[in-house]
Amino acid sequence: MTGAHRRLASALSGAAIAVLAAGLTTAHAAAPRSVPQGAEVTALAFDGASRTLLKTTADALYRSVDQGRDWTRLPLPAAARRGHIAAVAVSARGKGVLYLAGPGIGVLRSDDGGQHWSPRNQGLPGREVVALAAHADQPGTLYAYVSSHGIYRSENGGGHWRLMDRGPRTDILQLIHSNMPGSMQTGWFFAATAKGVSRSMDCFCGWRDAGGLGRGVRAVAYDPGQPRRVYAATGEGLFLSTNGGEQWVRVNAPAAKVVALAVTRSGALYAAAPDGALFRSVDQARTWEAAGA
Amino acid sequence: MRNVRTFSALALLGLATTAHGGESVSANARHLDTGHRVYRAQCGACHGAQGEGAARWERPDGQGELPPPPHDSRGHTWKHGDGMLYRIVRDGWRDPFNKTERLTMPAFGPTLAPRDIRAVIDYLKTLWTPAQRRFQREESRRMPYPPEAR
Repeated sequence: MTGAHRRLASALSGAAIAVLAAGLTTAHAAAPRSVPQGAEVTALAFDGASRTLLKTTADALYRSVDQGRDWTRLPLPAAARRGHIAAVAVSARGKGVLYLAGPGIGVLRSDDGGQHWSPRNQGLPGREVVALAAHADQPGTLYAYVSSHGIYRSENGGGHWRLMDRGPRTDILQLIHSNMPGSMQTGWFFAATAKGVSRSMDCFCGWRDAGGLGRGVRAVAYDPGQPRRVYAATGEGLFLSTNGGEQWVRVNAPAAKVVALAVTRSGALYAAAPDGALFRSVDQARTWEAAGA
Repeated sequence: MRNVRTFSALALLGLATTAHGGESVSANARHLDTGHRVYRAQCGACHGAQGEGAARWERPDGQGELPPPPHDSRGHTWKHGDGMLYRIVRDGWRDPFNKTERLTMPAFGPTLAPRDIRAVIDYLKTLWTPAQRRFQREESRRMPYPPEAR
């Protein structure tokens, strides 16, 4: 865990207690815990091609093919144990190509749905990859954020990386690529940072604060079916923007603290609590149910 | 002196040819001069006479859109391939977060010939550092000028 992660985690934890005390979150029956106790979920992703949910902790990757009811731990190479898994990404149009990244790990790629992995770090300045995003439409295009360096792009599935941009002023904690219309190039980035959500076109034409959330954001996700619909999990609850991050409204959160988000092609929103409990909403976070229940 | 400067710029841009290509050098110098002229006439009022951009170009204005950025080495123009730059100059672009309906960047397709659009983009390259030009050449491999501009 990087210093920035630790600082944000601490801030979010304190804020979550305050929010819970204020009764702002939706009380919910406990969802079945599916990762070892104490192992915090670090990322969620959905592979639309295989209808598979993916979930990571600092040292493990899990897969569910039944909407989160049952989870299978996938094998990881030794390289994944040398750091902290922070991100999992699915190649656009699927076909079993997955990427895993984190500080100390760099980037790993699997071509068979997570059974075998190989490093993909050529061109990166080190292994301190804090965030990783797959392009929404281009199968070979990836973006990796490396602490103190910036955002690197690969257009050949991680075969080679190139520095594209320094990134926003505040360190990126999570990065997604969206095919929301209106970009000069092919899409947009949304970055979770300790100060809110930062947004940039993927031409790297400048980062802007998206909507002035003004608080630490732990996770951000967008709805592939309605790309202007963006969710942000903060220490003070869950927020939804329906206009690409210009304005945010608080929506119901399924737990006092949400640490990871993913949205399926059909618009189902998944949210993970730190202890691994996973929740699902099919009505834009109005109501929640325990995933797999 | 001007010819020396022009040749240097051409060499940096990879537009200059070898000794027996004097006519090409001359043609390319004219190409860049055209680009400079077009820039002064059509672009400089917003992007600055020297390509310095508007003040506070990195912050959205009252209309919610970003002011004209620099085209020199301080901006981000050098990050974009020829094809993208050509498309933006030709078709314009509206910032989707603009609170008005107007185009953020006007479309010059109706007023400039394809060769003039290309000339002004090639002129912008003279405002960049060698490293930036190398970067942009790489980007242009995947986003080259469209056939109409070749």
